[in-house]
Amino acid sequence: MSNRTWFVTFATGILLLALLPNVVDGYMLGVMRDALIFGLFAASLDFFWGRTGILCFGHACFFGLGGYVMAIVSMMPDLAQQTLFGLVAAVAASALLAAVIGYFMFFGGVRGSYFTIVTLALAVIAQQVAVSWSDVTGGDTGLLGVPPLAFGALDLSGDIASYAAVAVILVVCLLGLRLVSVGPWGKVLTAIGDNEMRAAALGYNAAQRLTLTFTLSAAIAGLAGALYVAMAGLVAPDLIGLLLSTEVVVWVAIGGRGTLIGPVVGAVLVQRAQQEISSYNPSLWPLIIGCIFVLIVFLLPDGILSIAQRLRGVLPGRTR
Amino acid sequence: MTALLEAKDIGVRFGGLDALSGISFSIAERSLACIIGPNGAGKSTFLNVLTGTQKPTAGSVLFRGNPISGLPLHRIARAGIARKFQIPSVFPSMSVADNLDIARRGTGSAPALEGDVIELIGLSAKREVKAGELPHGEKQWLEIGMAIATGPSLLLLDEPTAGMTPQETQATARLIHRLQARLAIIAVEHDISFVRALDADTLVLHQGRFFRRGPFAEIEADPAVRDVYLGRR
Repeated sequence: MSNRTWFVTFATGILLLALLPNVVDGYMLGVMRDALIFGLFAASLDFFWGRTGILCFGHACFFGLGGYVMAIVSMMPDLAQQTLFGLVAAVAASALLAAVIGYFMFFGGVRGSYFTIVTLALAVIAQQVAVSWSDVTGGDTGLLGVPPLAFGALDLSGDIASYAAVAVILVVCLLGLRLVSVGPWGKVLTAIGDNEMRAAALGYNAAQRLTLTFTLSAAIAGLAGALYVAMAGLVAPDLIGLLLSTEVVVWVAIGGRGTLIGPVVGAVLVQRAQQEISSYNPSLWPLIIGCIFVLIVFLLPDGILSIAQRLRGVLPGRTR
Repeated sequence: MTALLEAKDIGVRFGGLDALSGISFSIAERSLACIIGPNGAGKSTFLNVLTGTQKPTAGSVLFRGNPISGLPLHRIARAGIARKFQIPSVFPSMSVADNLDIARRGTGSAPALEGDVIELIGLSAKREVKAGELPHGEKQWLEIGMAIATGPSLLLLDEPTAGMTPQETQATARLIHRLQARLAIIAVEHDISFVRALDADTLVLHQGRFFRRGPFAEIEADPAVRDVYLGRR
């Protein structure tokens, strides 16, 4: 996606985010806020997968870890600035886990489908740990009563305030990730994704670059997890397991891998579709969503965001 | 003359097969050597040893007197050894200029080198063309350009003219002669017309050993070398 197209889409997205509180009620604003948090999570996966071509199938590990750490830290009694310390600890914990995993995997030469399989196993292990380590994680029930976001006197627990906080964080993160993606660092990542040996022969330490990128991606996933838990007021093992890890891959694939905005759109659309379809048919919705996913992958392999580019190609007076 | 690179008693063994059997080689600054030999002689394995992608089972490689055997590829590149791979390895989704820019940044060589290199490889008019859209010969030149843009002292070329037309092959030979004024070059090649055009110090690799070494005219006239190429020996 060209820089111009990306920024036009980005600006349109900001406009829609700004208009939304005027056209929906408080409940729907909360639903959209949660969907945007999952959008941020999807963008974090896309930053790594979209640039390097290496699929992490256990990204919910970092989302869930951020959520658990946020819950544990912000529920500490007598802790001042719970939100701030919770967010910092959540981001740091997810980044640290990714740095350790990334170091051993990338410096150990694990790439491609092997990396995907190992991270898939990690998601299973993480969920099992969350269930079994009940003294800390609350077991199957999880942890309830996580306080909402608040920075000193600034209370972000209201519908509009929490929505605005999430929207601003999402916009800032997307812009930052885009600048990194199209800058020299992103070009090297693309080069490593295209041909790692060639990149190494030019003097790039591919393992180090992949580890750092994976760490940044996980840190943002951890931030998303922390935000979600603070908004929901609870954390449970399904936020760290295989199902969410699979869902985020679907959101990125549907939205358009490598675009950063596409995965956000994919996450929001799939979440809303799930809610609408399940209200009509509570048992068949996974099948319907699955069929839609297969159709999109076949008809729009570059994701939903590619529709605009396709239309532009067929409009009269335009050239491709 | 002091050796820029020196390989001592290099051996590489794959299971029960000796791909390289105790070969030694050295090359001085700003000199040109050409390694020829039939398929399976060990030419690419030898280049792999020099660039760290193949760890030798015996022997050592010294670059400017420092051991480099076993170092990772990126550290060997930063030390000043660049390589052009047998299969053109450019970044297809990036423009010619971006390919050269990313090559230059890998080792932190001077930005001015990029403009110089693009002139040298004759792709100034195609700066913004995506590398994946270039014809095969130009991809080969771009990859040579990327290797030069890293600012190396030694350039390793693995079959640089594979798939080129005769005109492109001769142009590549002229390019290499121009480059020789700046850096040392080791070229591994099958195409005898290209090796003849280079007219350099030539080594014949056969069954993992250097079988002959000398000026190309002598090598070409050697009946034993012809036997090697025709599989009679």
